[in-house]
Amino acid sequence: MVEGGSDRGTLVIVDVTAHKCENKMKHLWLAVALMMTVVFYYGIEDKQSGHSTTRSPIVRVTDDGLQPVSYHEPDCIGIDSFFAEEVWGKVGERTCLKCHNAKGDAAESEFVLQATLQDRTALEKNRQAFLRMAKAQENGQSRLLLKVSGKLEHGGGEVLETNSTGYKILSRFTGQNAGTPKPLSAELDFRPFFDGIQMLTPRRLLRRITLSLGARLPTAVEQAAVQKNGLEALNQIVDRIMQEDAFYERLQEAFNDILLIRGYDGVAENALSYEHFKYRNWYQKHDLSLIGNEDAQREARYKLAREYREAMLREPLELIKYIVRNERPFTEILTADYIMVTPYTSRGYGIYENLKDKFKDPDDPFEYIPARLPSLKHRDGRSHQESPTGFYPHAGLLSTFQYLKRYPTTETNRNRLRVRMYFEHFLGVDIMALAPRVNDAAKITSEYEIPTMEATDCVVCHKVIDPVAGLFQDYYALDGKGVYGPRKEGWYQDMFGSGLYGEDLPDEQRWRSLQWLGERTAHDPRFAVAMVKHVWYTLYGRKPLLPPEDIDDPLFSAKRRAYQAQRNEIEQIASRFARESFNLKVIFRELVGSKFYQVERLNVSAKTPNRLAELDDLGLIHMLSPEQLERKLTAIFGKQWGLLTNRDSNFKILYGGIDSKTVTRRIADPSGAMGAIQRIMANDVACRNVAADFSLPANERRLFPMIEPDVLPGLDAESDHKIKEAIVHLHDLILGREDSVNDQEVQRTFELFAGIISDARSQGEFDPRESYACQTLREKTPRDPDPEYTIRAWRGVVTYLLRQLDFLYE
Amino acid sequence: MKRRNLLKLCTAAGLGFASPVGERYLVKAEENRTESPPYEGPYYIVFNASGGWDTTYLMDPKGVNNINRLYQQGDILTQGNIRFAPNAKQITAGLSNEDFFSKYTNELLVFNGLDYSVNNHSPCSRYMATGKLDSLEYPTFAALIAACNGSDTPLAFLTFGQYSATGNLVPLSRVPYLSSLKRLANADGVDGSPHTFYSDDFVRDRIETALMAQRAAQVSEPRLPRLQRAQSMLYAAQFNSKALNRITPYIPKSQGKGRLPSQVDIALASFKAGVCVSANLSIGQFDSHANNDVDQMKLIPELLAGVDYLARKAEELNLRDKLVIVIQSEMGRTPTYNKGNGKDHWSVGSIMFMGAGIKGNRVIGATDDKQFLVPINPKSLAIDQQQGVRVRPEHIHAALREFAGISKHSFSMKFPLDIPAGERLEKFWG
Repeated sequence: MVEGGSDRGTLVIVDVTAHKCENKMKHLWLAVALMMTVVFYYGIEDKQSGHSTTRSPIVRVTDDGLQPVSYHEPDCIGIDSFFAEEVWGKVGERTCLKCHNAKGDAAESEFVLQATLQDRTALEKNRQAFLRMAKAQENGQSRLLLKVSGKLEHGGGEVLETNSTGYKILSRFTGQNAGTPKPLSAELDFRPFFDGIQMLTPRRLLRRITLSLGARLPTAVEQAAVQKNGLEALNQIVDRIMQEDAFYERLQEAFNDILLIRGYDGVAENALSYEHFKYRNWYQKHDLSLIGNEDAQREARYKLAREYREAMLREPLELIKYIVRNERPFTEILTADYIMVTPYTSRGYGIYENLKDKFKDPDDPFEYIPARLPSLKHRDGRSHQESPTGFYPHAGLLSTFQYLKRYPTTETNRNRLRVRMYFEHFLGVDIMALAPRVNDAAKITSEYEIPTMEATDCVVCHKVIDPVAGLFQDYYALDGKGVYGPRKEGWYQDMFGSGLYGEDLPDEQRWRSLQWLGERTAHDPRFAVAMVKHVWYTLYGRKPLLPPEDIDDPLFSAKRRAYQAQRNEIEQIASRFARESFNLKVIFRELVGSKFYQVERLNVSAKTPNRLAELDDLGLIHMLSPEQLERKLTAIFGKQWGLLTNRDSNFKILYGGIDSKTVTRRIADPSGAMGAIQRIMANDVACRNVAADFSLPANERRLFPMIEPDVLPGLDAESDHKIKEAIVHLHDLILGREDSVNDQEVQRTFELFAGIISDARSQGEFDPRESYACQTLREKTPRDPDPEYTIRAWRGVVTYLLRQLDFLYE
Repeated sequence: MKRRNLLKLCTAAGLGFASPVGERYLVKAEENRTESPPYEGPYYIVFNASGGWDTTYLMDPKGVNNINRLYQQGDILTQGNIRFAPNAKQITAGLSNEDFFSKYTNELLVFNGLDYSVNNHSPCSRYMATGKLDSLEYPTFAALIAACNGSDTPLAFLTFGQYSATGNLVPLSRVPYLSSLKRLANADGVDGSPHTFYSDDFVRDRIETALMAQRAAQVSEPRLPRLQRAQSMLYAAQFNSKALNRITPYIPKSQGKGRLPSQVDIALASFKAGVCVSANLSIGQFDSHANNDVDQMKLIPELLAGVDYLARKAEELNLRDKLVIVIQSEMGRTPTYNKGNGKDHWSVGSIMFMGAGIKGNRVIGATDDKQFLVPINPKSLAIDQQQGVRVRPEHIHAALREFAGISKHSFSMKFPLDIPAGERLEKFWG
């Protein structure tokens, strides 16, 4: 919970509410880890109170700004590497820390540990704690071993079997260290994580950022600024991009990838229940008598419906856009007491008359403004929803009808799907990711009258899940039919009561239960981390690494180091995000400024398996989605290709896109089918653009501003140089490469160009015109003259470039 | 690309064919091949009854203890060694159990009493698909076999839904429409034309050669592991995509009607063309928490009709004896009805297999009269309530890997299943 804060942007966030492990509960560790023991503390000093959190600061707030404490502080050097990598990395951190921390179930024990990710000095303290436990004896045996094996009273019961790797590590540790500790052994490898990695030049980084966030190439002014001031110029540029419309299109697309909110069943207006919104089909009777004849009116009505539905689908994502554009706390996605409506959707809600003066253009279907709905009433006007304020108790996305309809419920699901999504979307916890195995689930199900409240194996999760499910009870949209109200028979008695992490929902808060949930979630430290992960996913096209699980894996330590490097970055950015009033732009700014985003290449080959494992996920190297690829094509060629994203295109799903409904995960690696689409795209885009570009005056051309079709290779040095300069320009424009005319890749492209012309000549005779399909004005004559085959050779060059990784990937 | 042109250009470009990943494609070019040869089987198809089927209305009939309302114990039918629930009188479409078992018993291996271990859709789907409950990294069996047997085929692993993780071993392909295949088959043709090309063939050859030369040059540079993988996969995807032109003759003029037939058509055309190793087929809505019997009586016949459609069409294409078919769901349904006449999640279920190399007309394992699992002896496969093992998805997957001959493949070794000593199912396939 957030326990304090200040108007200077500093706050103290200590841990989430502790979960009480039950004695002897087997299999609980995993679930506890997933849902409860996110014991990372922001550790930011509260300057007002002078109080510091339970951990040393990771980011020190001073009057001069932030002073990040390095992940590789020299104060760690000298720690026993066996302890650090084996005892702590494989056992202590993964197993003991979950309860044995200052806020955990074992906080009162003598064995209290600290997380070390942000505070490496804690490693030595933990080592001392382990040494004390190792030395303590009971009947001639180390208490450490007796405890973990459950042979001595231990709140967590048996957590390590005696034949497990973890137990063997502790055995070795106690053997080494029980009695008189040995001197510290080998030092840890503190070689910087990014050692040997070359970062992008500022110019290439600029291109990456403008294409990714702004769907455009850098302007000359931006390039000049970066040329002059390097990376320092980027912050301002990023800030400007985040004011452009293209950024918000990307933002909405990205959050739909995460929330999948556009994917609810049925037509869009059915998110509004028949019971409460009698005007939801207003477009069917809207007066269009002034619009031409019957056919014209029919077309107009189709358009009206289409735009209304799109506006309705987009509403929740517009809320995100509104919050970010106005730099409002992103916690409002959980707490906003308003929704975004347009002239069209407000008609569906029946509030247009009250709002029409606030719209700049009442005929603009996509002009969104914030608005509050009155509390829900039946079609006959009877009050339906208790609300002391008279308003619908909006709670950001949580209470939008689109979100509720996207994740409906059933009589047996009882809102648990919504809870799963709530945890995943807003706290970054996948409660279904690693389900704990039980010995006989069927037997447990049948042995207890109410297993979810009585069977230990079930209770461990359901005591967390079911109270949150209860908070959604007044939005019981059964079977997705869109009737948002309490269940007729009353809420289930065979579930834990409504609340959150042991805090019961007070009766007087029942009418605003989702607001109550949203407020608490906004204060949960995991919220900020989850949002950083969402933006990470947006920028990288993949989720951050998960901690390695298999301690028997010889590469475990290397994988752990890679995970920790990312996790450290994420937590630092999360704390900055929280401190800067949860402004989501901070995360974008920080992440594009992160080394992880700027990695270019290896300077020297990595040889050892450990180093290769550390580097395994490094580098953006992400295949563009269909939408991203279309935007890049538009940015480079100045016009849309469209075949990847058109409404009637089959390519979108084939190329790894999603429909937010049945296809919800993007494909990250190209299959042969996608390879075929890449070839189609390269052929077709080159076909549409090369002759067309040459037909323009040189100063208006994008592709060939410095060359004419009559410049031939192999005639003289000047001609070849001109051609190579044209290639350098194409490499820059299409691939983002910074080549010189002498570069090997330029030479390769030159040889392609020259080779095509040579081959054409060797044919004896060829058509002196560009092909019919690829002429400047498709389906119109005359065809573009191409007496030397150079236009077609340049088309071959562009086709070749469009098939390369530098173009198809970020 | 014409082979002669390619070789001439490769030689001119001085290609060394020495890249670590993707090298097989370069090597193939060196061996005078311009594309990988067709994959000739066996082909693997996994049918997923998504949502959790009621096995007591199919291959594990009960008819006692109010487990089934539509029939009693005495109504249970038998075909060969397989007992099954009657449903011909209840269904209005699809294939009845009677017809299905009458037709396929001799090919069917039924396993009853599978312990899903948990009863939530997400982990169960993952567990059934991969054989591993507690990892998000493992590939599905369909992806694994595709990677082991034919990762250089352009649509090695086709999926139409359900859990489809690949373990980064092979790209997955989604092909929702048959018409898409036609367009992909002629990527160099203007608007998919097989006759009119964007460029002359010598231009296409030059482009391919330049890409190949670039690929060879990349290999000698220090590269991040991720970049190395991406370069290889991209090159392979584009190179292998040319084999899609083999699919054109096998694209049926019309697509089968219904959820499964449309998937089957795409899978079979891809198998026949030798561009695919495995396909993950799926139909949903089995999660019958309300009105269990009504829903299951619609869905089970639809599922069986889909299997039948596959078998018939495969016969027509002479592929039947190369198919291995797995029919599964991620969970079972409770032995009791809830207040909404539905059945909830049950962590015990069944799985069926048929196809090349599988001895049919057999039932292994069992559940008791209350639909609890009965352990079996892994060596004799006989029921052994006292000393037997609870067969879980990892046992089935280990057996599948062995059956497919990939249990020692490095990809399989990368994702071990850790079956305890003595629990390996012996002679499972007959």
